[in-house]
Amino acid sequence: MRGMLGISLVLIAVAAAVAIIPAAGVALAAGDEPGEYIDRRVLIWNLFFRMMTVAFTVGAVVSGTIIWQVWRFRESHPKAKPTPYEGTDW
Amino acid sequence: MVLELQKPRPIWQIMFSTHHTDVGLLYLITSLGFLFLGGALALAIRAELFLPGAQIIGDAMTFNRIFTVHGTTLIFLFIIPFASAVGNYFVPIMVRYKDMAYPKLNAIAFWMIPPSGALIWLGFADFTWYATPPYSIISAPGPAADMWIFGLKILGVSSVLGAINFVVTILKCKHPDMSIGQVPLLAWSFLSSSLIILVAIPTFAAALLMLLTDRLGVSGFFNPALGGDPIAYAHLFWFTFHPEVYVLVIPAIGMMYEIIPRFSRRPIYSYGSGVFAFVLLSIVGFSSWAHHMYATGMSFTEKTVFMVGTLAAVPASAMHVFNFIATMWNGRIRFSTPMMWAVGGIALFFSAGAGGVVNSAMPLDFTTHDTYWVVGHFHLFVMGTIAFGSIGYLYYMFPYVTGRMYNETMGKIHFVMSFIGTVLVFFTQHVLGLYGMPRRIFDYPPIPEWIAMNQIASIGAMIIGVSMVIFLANMIHSSAKGEPANTDDPFGVGGRYYYPFEAKNPSH
Repeated sequence: MRGMLGISLVLIAVAAAVAIIPAAGVALAAGDEPGEYIDRRVLIWNLFFRMMTVAFTVGAVVSGTIIWQVWRFRESHPKAKPTPYEGTDW
Repeated sequence: MVLELQKPRPIWQIMFSTHHTDVGLLYLITSLGFLFLGGALALAIRAELFLPGAQIIGDAMTFNRIFTVHGTTLIFLFIIPFASAVGNYFVPIMVRYKDMAYPKLNAIAFWMIPPSGALIWLGFADFTWYATPPYSIISAPGPAADMWIFGLKILGVSSVLGAINFVVTILKCKHPDMSIGQVPLLAWSFLSSSLIILVAIPTFAAALLMLLTDRLGVSGFFNPALGGDPIAYAHLFWFTFHPEVYVLVIPAIGMMYEIIPRFSRRPIYSYGSGVFAFVLLSIVGFSSWAHHMYATGMSFTEKTVFMVGTLAAVPASAMHVFNFIATMWNGRIRFSTPMMWAVGGIALFFSAGAGGVVNSAMPLDFTTHDTYWVVGHFHLFVMGTIAFGSIGYLYYMFPYVTGRMYNETMGKIHFVMSFIGTVLVFFTQHVLGLYGMPRRIFDYPPIPEWIAMNQIASIGAMIIGVSMVIFLANMIHSSAKGEPANTDDPFGVGGRYYYPFEAKNPSH
């Protein structure tokens, strides 16, 4: 489980970097060179959609996991069983 | 057990008490009062924006006053005092000390809130919760603006006194047998947020003084006509108030750390990562303030530094979310009302965080800057995460405070309606922002998409409003006539309900 957490964190960082790094060139040029306004708008919206794709993908995985947990680990689920900590003074 | 309402006392005994549970109760009642006042203003705003043109609010100036006091009230007079209520109640118990380190200072910190609330409400300033200069200096009408400044000044002192008390209580007054690594995560959250307050607030205190002297005409720090720079105010303000976002959210996450393991019937998955994430958030909170000023002509290097600084908060926030998920995994979860609020809060925390990543990426910030996207984003944080965590904890502590149980069905209805309403209002506001609707406007052109989305948001707000009426009725009725709670295990989840230490209130 700890490994899963670490991998998930690394994947999120990589996904964010994949979306952001291509924008660095756009942002570097912003305000420096006249006459490229329209292209930048397109690139910025492209970046926006890319980042939203990353955000929605990660969000869907995390939210989906939470929804599944809520369903699977509820106490009324047929497979629910007492945790090892119940009945102790943890 | 501390059962505030089980042995009724004259109100003055509570009001003039310095015991931490009494001060906590005063914080609690005050903060909830301001929640309803600020919420009523929110409903007025949404009713006004239901259709283009003037609806129920006569003019733009009044509208500006309403949203200024709405924001100021809910941030400074609801969220922060509510966190103080929880901290006052439980931090001494968690660190096994008889009271806060400085009980009289604690009571003084509370009693600064009602006068500052009165100043803010009686003045009803119109320059936004940010006190936008140079408008706030040159033409914001007095005495409302001056009263707001004095009100905030007093609240700042109150916050600093409270923060000193929490830091000293946790670090110096904890039981000798208890190492810092055994302090519960809720207490850690108060330690982290208090340290942020101590570093951040003095900057805003200075800015407020400069703002006041500018208004009096004896200085021109932020007045362009006198060679001042309004952007300097923006830097001073956001140096305090971006970290302040973490001051608001960290205690709410701490409250979730109390609820989720209890109702999952498992200990928290990783205590260490929770502590690490709190500390990390309180540090990186200071590396992101200038992302609010991308549009003011900062250099690319500066913008890059603050973009990276802002994104540094993502891993720390993600650690909390994964910690919650891992704690619930293989649990046997009882979805009582507090747990529903906590899980709903985690889901919305993630959504709000995703929107924040978009804000912090500088090219995208230009697209969304000063639009309803920003309104949706921070409201999703404030309502969807902070208020959800806080209200969940209020249900959790209810039997502990009153000795009675709240009505579970009404609590669940409150949650479901609030969750639906929150999604309707604040997700829609994100889309409205992408459609270009600017924030802080009294009227808007009759664009069909704007009208439709404003109506969805307003309906969502009304749903939240109705749910809050149910909440209020539940709290009042259950406090007086609720079923007596089994204070050892009021939620029937087994284990000990609280910490093996009983606060000894000499008044009881």
